Amino acid sequence: MKAKPRIAIYKMSSCAGCQLEFLNLEPVLLDVVGALDFSYFVMARRGNLPGPYDIGFVEGAITCGEEIEKLKQARKDCKMLVALGTCACYGGLPSIKNWVPQRVVEGLVYSDLSAIHSTKAYSIDQYVEVDAFLKGCPVNKDELVEFIKGALLGIRPYLRPHSVCVECKLHENVCLFTSKGEVCMGPVTTAGCGALCPSNAKACDGCRGPANDANTESLAHAFLAHGLHKNDIIRKFRKFAGLTPEFSKGVEVV
Amino acid sequence: MAMARSVGTLASLALLPKTDLKGLVERLMGEFTVVGPVPKGKEYVFSPIQSAGDLALDYGTTILPPKKVLHQPFEVLFSFHETEGICEAREPERKQILFGLHACDVYAIQILDRAYTLEYPDPYYGIKRQNTLIIGLNCHQVGPTCFCQSMGTGPGMRQGYDLLLTDLGDQYLVEVGSSSGEALAAALQLFPAPRVMLVEKEKRLDEVRRKFHKRLQTTGLHELLEDNFRHPVWEQLMHQCLACGSCTMVCPTCFCYNVVDKLDLGLKSGKRQREWDSCMLLEYAQVALGHNFRKDRDARIKQRVYHKLVYYEPQFSTIGCVGCGRCISACVKKIDFTETIAILRGE
Repeated sequence: MKAKPRIAIYKMSSCAGCQLEFLNLEPVLLDVVGALDFSYFVMARRGNLPGPYDIGFVEGAITCGEEIEKLKQARKDCKMLVALGTCACYGGLPSIKNWVPQRVVEGLVYSDLSAIHSTKAYSIDQYVEVDAFLKGCPVNKDELVEFIKGALLGIRPYLRPHSVCVECKLHENVCLFTSKGEVCMGPVTTAGCGALCPSNAKACDGCRGPANDANTESLAHAFLAHGLHKNDIIRKFRKFAGLTPEFSKGVEVV
Repeated sequence: MAMARSVGTLASLALLPKTDLKGLVERLMGEFTVVGPVPKGKEYVFSPIQSAGDLALDYGTTILPPKKVLHQPFEVLFSFHETEGICEAREPERKQILFGLHACDVYAIQILDRAYTLEYPDPYYGIKRQNTLIIGLNCHQVGPTCFCQSMGTGPGMRQGYDLLLTDLGDQYLVEVGSSSGEALAAALQLFPAPRVMLVEKEKRLDEVRRKFHKRLQTTGLHELLEDNFRHPVWEQLMHQCLACGSCTMVCPTCFCYNVVDKLDLGLKSGKRQREWDSCMLLEYAQVALGHNFRKDRDARIKQRVYHKLVYYEPQFSTIGCVGCGRCISACVKKIDFTETIAILRGE
C-alpha cells in the first residue's frame, strides 16, 4: 500500500479556528486520520516530526518578518502548499488593519511598542507560490474533505466558484436582500459554505472572498440605493478580503 | 402558443364548497404525498404538507417553482462501489399530488416534460413525473412582476392539469383535465356542476386579466432579437448584472444541471449526484484546458434571454418563458427582461 501522505499544519496570524476544523471533522475524523499522516500538527499532537511533507496547510495572514521566513521554509518543506481559510487566502480579518497607519493600529493593542514590528497583513500567495486555496472563516469542512479526497486521488476537487446566491436559492431561503430589505454580500461572495449565514437568516458577510465573476461595483451601487452609508459599504468590502481587486473596486465606487 | 388543448378539458364539471376542501385534501393525503404552497417568511414555498391547514392557497408565487419536486435542486442519481459496481437501488416513489399550482407553473412543467421525456428521456424525472398528479388553481393573485398573460400561459389554465380549481367565492369550480383526474374526481364524489358555471369562471378570470401591469409584446420577438444582437442595452445590462445566478435558479423552465461525483474517504465507493446549474455562471461554458465560450457577462445575459425567447421555439415549439416573474423579483438589481425587450422595441 502506498504510504500515507505526510501533512503539516502551520499557524500564522490567525485565531486557529481553521485548523480546529480538522478536529471538528469528527464524524469522519478517523477516516481522515486513516488516510493522512499528520506529521506536524501542533494543536493536535505531541512530538511533531520534521519535514519534508506532502501537503502543508497554512492558516493565517502574514503580518511580520518571522512569519515570512516560516512561510518560505514551509514552501520548501511541502510538495503542495494550501492556503487554509480566508486569512491565508486574502489576509482575512487581520487585514482590516491595513487601512490604518501601522503605529496607530499597534498602539490600539499594545502598550509597549518597542518589541512590535508588524507589517501589513497579507495573504500567503504574496510571498510564496500556493497550490490551492480553501476559503472561509472558518474553512468549510465539506470543502476541506473534498480537497483531501482530491489530493489523495490526484484530481482537481470541485470547489464552487460562483456566488453564495446559487446555494442560497438551492436551499430556497427567503432572500434577505429582495424580501427582507437587508443588505447581503452573497451576490459577490464565493459559495461553498452552503449559504450558511443566509440559511440562518443572517446576511452574508463576504468571508469567502470574491466569487469568480463578482460585480462588486454594481453591488456597491445597490448598497447605496438601499441607503447604506459610504463607510458601512467600505467596511463590508474590507472586512475579509479588502486587498482583492474585486472587493477594492466595490470600495472605489463610494 | 402551439400546444393542443387537451380534449377532456370540459368533459366534466363539479362544485366543491370551500368548507369541504379540508376534508378533500385530507382524503388525498391518505393516498398521496400532497405538495402545496406554504408560507415561509413573507414568501411561499412548495412543500409536502402535514395537514390541510398548511396550505396557503391565496399565495401569489413561490421562491422556487414546483419544478423542484420533479427535478430536484440536489439529487443522488446512483451510488457506486469498486467491487460491487453501480447500485441504482431507488426507493419506490410514493404517488404525489402537486396541489394549487398556477397556470404559469403548470405550463412550465409541460415544457420540462418535452425537455426531459421526449428526445432524451431522463429516467429520474420520468419516474417522478409518472407518479405525479397536478391539481391546478386558476390564479387570481396578479403580482407586480407577473406577465403570464403576455406569454399566453395564464392566468387561466388551459391544459396540463388533472384537476383544476377556480375560486368562485364560497366554492371552487372543479374541472377535469385527464383520465387520472376523472378517476380522482369520481373517487372524491364531487357534486356535478352545470355548464353555466363556466361563464362564472370566465367572469372571474376577466377580473384577473384586468389586473396585469407588466407586459411583454411577443409579436415579432424572434426578428427583434435577431436584429439587436449588438444593441447597446446588452452592455448596460453587463454592468448591472451581478452574475449571481439567482434569475436562473428560480426559473421554472431552466433545466440545466451539473453532475458531480462525491467519493467516500476510503476512495472505494461514492455517489453520483446532480444539482441545478446556470448559464449565468462564469464556469458554465468553460471547457477543458480553461477556454470559456461565454467569458463576458453580456454574452451570458444574452444567452439566457435568447434561449428563453428564441432558441426554445424550434426545439420545444413554444417560447421558453412563462411569465411567472420570479427572475425579476429575485434580482437584487431589479433587472427585468420585459423592460429590455421594450427598450429594443424603442418604447
